[in-house]
Amino acid sequence: MANITCSNIVKSYGAFPVIDGLDLSIPDHEFVVFLGPSGCGKSTMLRMIAGLEEVTGGRIEIGGTDVTDMPPGDRGVAMVFQSYALYPHMSVADNITFGLRRQGVSRSEIAPRLEQVADMLGLSPYLDRRPKNLSGGQQQRVAMARAMIKTPKVFLFDEPLSNLDAKLREKLRTEIRKMHLQLKTTTIFVTHDQLEAMTIADRIVLMRDGEIEQMGTPDEIFERPASHFVADFIGTPAMNFIDATIEAGHVARAGSIALSLSPELFPGLVPGQKVELGLRPASMDLAAPDAPNAIGGTVVLVENMGAEGQVITQVDGAEISFVTPQFRQVRAGETVHFALRPDQIHIFDPETGRSLRGV
Amino acid sequence: MTRKIFVRLALVPAISILATLALVSIAGAIWFALMNRTLRSPEYEFVGAYNFLRLLRDSRFFNALEISALWELITVTGTLGLAVLLSVLIYETVQKPLWRNVICFAFLVPVLLPRVAAAFIWRFMYSPSLGVINYLCGLVGIGPVEFLADPSLALISVAVVDIWQWGLFFTVIVLKLMETLPRDPIEAAMLDNARRWEIHAYVTLPMLKGPLVSLALVKAVESLRSFDLIFVMTGGGPGKATETLDLYAYQMGINMGGRISYASAMSLLLLVVTTIAFTVIWKAGKKWAA
Repeated sequence: MANITCSNIVKSYGAFPVIDGLDLSIPDHEFVVFLGPSGCGKSTMLRMIAGLEEVTGGRIEIGGTDVTDMPPGDRGVAMVFQSYALYPHMSVADNITFGLRRQGVSRSEIAPRLEQVADMLGLSPYLDRRPKNLSGGQQQRVAMARAMIKTPKVFLFDEPLSNLDAKLREKLRTEIRKMHLQLKTTTIFVTHDQLEAMTIADRIVLMRDGEIEQMGTPDEIFERPASHFVADFIGTPAMNFIDATIEAGHVARAGSIALSLSPELFPGLVPGQKVELGLRPASMDLAAPDAPNAIGGTVVLVENMGAEGQVITQVDGAEISFVTPQFRQVRAGETVHFALRPDQIHIFDPETGRSLRGV
Repeated sequence: MTRKIFVRLALVPAISILATLALVSIAGAIWFALMNRTLRSPEYEFVGAYNFLRLLRDSRFFNALEISALWELITVTGTLGLAVLLSVLIYETVQKPLWRNVICFAFLVPVLLPRVAAAFIWRFMYSPSLGVINYLCGLVGIGPVEFLADPSLALISVAVVDIWQWGLFFTVIVLKLMETLPRDPIEAAMLDNARRWEIHAYVTLPMLKGPLVSLALVKAVESLRSFDLIFVMTGGGPGKATETLDLYAYQMGINMGGRISYASAMSLLLLVVTTIAFTVIWKAGKKWAA
């Protein structure tokens, strides 16, 4: 068990820095997800903590020990790879116990630990098999068992679920979360899937171009996105963005749309200011035409998602979508009205993309 | 044209060439082996299995058989050992692709040399009076060493040349094979506390077991055809110290004895023994590598 501190981390390939001065602190027992689009540096960051990638500048500490110049094996970390990275010529049992055998742990001590880990992950019937004779989900469990048996200070997961089908991914996601609740080992989990991040994380570190865009609990990230980028990245269906101008009385106007805003949340707005409105489809629902903050639009398309449906409408030539459970009553070509509460409106600076929320 | 007919037609050229080259000569050898032909006289008669029975009482034949087996063992293990050792060393120490390519190119040169040329170069280097190796030995106070004239050293000394040619070539192949291996299991082993040599001993080389077995077999077949190398370097000597089966057959049949029939019987026996041996080794190797 250990906390992780990264200070002023720099990583460059040649003269080109991919991560430039990143600071990050992860408390003990926490399950942290590095989230971001491809190429944002989240995997590089994880690999630097693991010791598989050299750090160009800065220090990494695990449990109070500076590990920056230590080889991967000495850092007390265990990693689960996207490709599982099993040893193809070894049996499942040998795969799982390889690390312990390299550490010189005695056979009599390895056997009960293997049994315990195999039981926990349901691998007992497969211990004599080769990895190629296992399904993808079973292979990923072997990779997890190999990491768990070492009782590391830190677990690192590098997109471990992205090679699995949707159903299995959901199942293993729950298993990983349960495992963490049981073992309480500090964990870093890298993914590009925002839903996976939201469901599994204690805290999300959202990265973009080698920098931390926002760090916070899933709720904080979802409810109070710090920037246009975060708001756009998190949440399905994706947020609607509308350019608007502030008018007197804390009203944002964009064509036929006029939304009254909360003065407490956005105290700094002045009339005439150009802003970008962010409206989550899931925060909006059908409303009466005269309801507060109602928006009227022509239905273009209705997407059935089972319990709910996404209605895509055209408002002043731009598309705005919202989600409603009553989507079955809506037909394409109709005019509908939908609304949302003022505290669910997000406002961003069109220049910097930062949120204009005051508190 | 159906697929079946096409497959058969496509096979015809290869099989007919093989038939003319291999089958005709084997049939010729069998024919000779049943006679008592010599190069000295045009007269001959049918003698049945006489030549084969005589072989079983020929101690020089068994000596040649032993030398051949020893030669196979030394050259195959030497070549693969050197190739594995050097490729791991290069893989660990040389990271720049340019330098790796330069080294690979340099390592390919020896095998491009004709055997006879390699043999002459090394015979000169081994020379007790003029050779560079004995000069170096002299610097550290050893020698002069009679590499090719000392019966206990001659076979090893010739094998070194073979290993020099093929070991370096195989190094290039093994290195290229290692470069195709996925990186992840190696990184997983690094996280699993494996030291550098342990990563290769337990992860990379076992992953290459299949190709390494095939390489060993290729080298074993190739080692059977070392007549030119041994002939130029020692001619089978000193005494019978480097006389492999093909050298003895040549000495018997063409060089000194001229006993064509006896030599034919010997080469047929060699054919049978190697066919059986290689079938067994091939099967075992495939099973082990699976």
